Amino acid sequence: MQVQRRSSGTYFADRAARVIFLICAILLVVVIAGVFIFIGLNAFKVFGEGANIKDFLFSTNWDPTGNGDVNGNPSFGAGGLILGSIVITLFSVIIATPLAFGMALFFTEVSSNWLSRLLRPLIEIFTGMPSVVIGFFGLVVVVPFLQRLVGNIVGNHQTAGYGWGAAILVLVIMILPTIISISIDALRAVPNSVREASLALGSTHWQMMTRAVLPAATTGLATAVVLGMARAIGETLAVALVLNGSRLPPLTPILNLFFQPNVNITQYIAIDFGEATGPGRDAYFTLAFFLLAISFLFVCISRYLASRSVYK
Amino acid sequence: MSMQQVDQASIQDDARRTEMNRVVRRIEASNSAGMGLLWVIAAIVAVLFIGILIYLIIQGAAYIFNPQFYGTSSVGVGPEIFNTFYILILAEVISLPIALAGAIYLIEYARQGPLVTVIHFAAETLASIPSIVLGLFGVLVFSIAFHLGTSRAAGALALLCLNLPLALRLFEDALSSVPRELREGGLALGATKWHVIRTVVIPSALPGIVTAIILTAGKIIGEAAVLLFTMGLTNPPQVFTLNPLIASATLTTHLYYVAGPGAGSTGLTTAQETAITAGSSTLLILLLLIINLLARSLGRYVERRVTAA
Repeated sequence: MQVQRRSSGTYFADRAARVIFLICAILLVVVIAGVFIFIGLNAFKVFGEGANIKDFLFSTNWDPTGNGDVNGNPSFGAGGLILGSIVITLFSVIIATPLAFGMALFFTEVSSNWLSRLLRPLIEIFTGMPSVVIGFFGLVVVVPFLQRLVGNIVGNHQTAGYGWGAAILVLVIMILPTIISISIDALRAVPNSVREASLALGSTHWQMMTRAVLPAATTGLATAVVLGMARAIGETLAVALVLNGSRLPPLTPILNLFFQPNVNITQYIAIDFGEATGPGRDAYFTLAFFLLAISFLFVCISRYLASRSVYK
Repeated sequence: MSMQQVDQASIQDDARRTEMNRVVRRIEASNSAGMGLLWVIAAIVAVLFIGILIYLIIQGAAYIFNPQFYGTSSVGVGPEIFNTFYILILAEVISLPIALAGAIYLIEYARQGPLVTVIHFAAETLASIPSIVLGLFGVLVFSIAFHLGTSRAAGALALLCLNLPLALRLFEDALSSVPRELREGGLALGATKWHVIRTVVIPSALPGIVTAIILTAGKIIGEAAVLLFTMGLTNPPQVFTLNPLIASATLTTHLYYVAGPGAGSTGLTTAQETAITAGSSTLLILLLLIINLLARSLGRYVERRVTAA
């Protein structure tokens, strides 16, 4: 009797534990569904409040609260913000990718053991570096540097240095470690037999890397770049601190865009969402949904690439 | 064979050999150029990173040895440090059990199938969502729908969403590193699954679990974007309380506010603002360095304790 009661008790505990664990695992799915539903529901409100999709994507007059208009009419042209996010993401990835691949090759193919052990923690520390600290670094080092570099060319010395240029450089620092560490994993996944086969055919070390190892790791490296882009487009505070703009500057000369205060999506959300109300507030959920859709797209691409990779 | 033919053959031979030599030299040159390039890239990246670290540490070193920096006046960040650790503990207390339970389900109970795929896909998607978007989600759900307003509780719940995918993945790694024989041994002795998990799997996975806790702590300490609107940027007068329903600023959000939107309007001189921003970044970096060291050494220490016992 005693034995039976105890065993039915433990049996019950076993079942209960299983159900609780399942609920916790499902919670993750609930959260992500909630994010899409709540942001999505609020994202489209603004189109019933005076905005239309064409202006939203292509006009550059962003004033959802109507403060800048004499009649107080809001305008929802997010073209400039979207352009900003796309430009700084693309440029930062273009700069960071060759550096990251080089660094990853160095780690896996060239560097001796002790050197890797010395450098690896450095990459790890920078992967977890708070974005606001990098933003502060951009503010006190990158912006003044660019100001000295191009201040006389673009004029308006007071504000020169802020803008897309500084944002791109700051983002390079932020996404380099991400791309490096995923690339290292991708290169490590290439089996040694590939390297040995290439060397046995008489390749030099460099030929082995560029003709055998890199092609074999293509999908993994592409995943690294895609995840780097996902990080770059969502990066907020570091970028907000060095952009420091409230609207797209005059387009001519074109250097203005990169070296005068400028805007992107995340910066505007960070600065303005807190004070916005009514349709203005809804407009920021539209921007957030845009970011959400893009990062979801990036995840899908990276999963697709991962499913196609030969070496895992 | 006449003399002439031999000459011709040797000339051809010579030509082929010089051609071969040229090709070999070209390949060798491109090889050394390529290797040189890799060394240069590695040197650039290493110098860049080390330079940034050293610059940021030196920049604020003078301020963090000043006791005033830790005070509660407007030039001190005492309240912000308190809030950082408060929110760290609150967020970890909520998120770690959930993440651990989820990981236990995925590793110990679930069979490979659509459910596991969906959960992993959800985790990956959640991990890649920009934290500012999660912040807005937090405003909609925790601040408005849950009526928590701009408060520590709302901030901690938003951090839970941010922290879950990373914690889940790290816990999964920790659990899956436990050899299968240990579980089978426990089950063969007649223990229930839950009993085996409690007494065999979790103790053996403890080093990985400790490392995971420390790494997620690093992420929470450095996070700011998610807290901007859920927890606010300013402190109420009574900040040293455990009340989860008050707004408060952490080291990161305060640093952002003083360096960014609040610059010039905080009532501080530029020198005082610099003291706060430079000092806070140095403090954050030192905290992260300590966390990194802990993650390395503490995991190993626990492992030694567990395996010795």
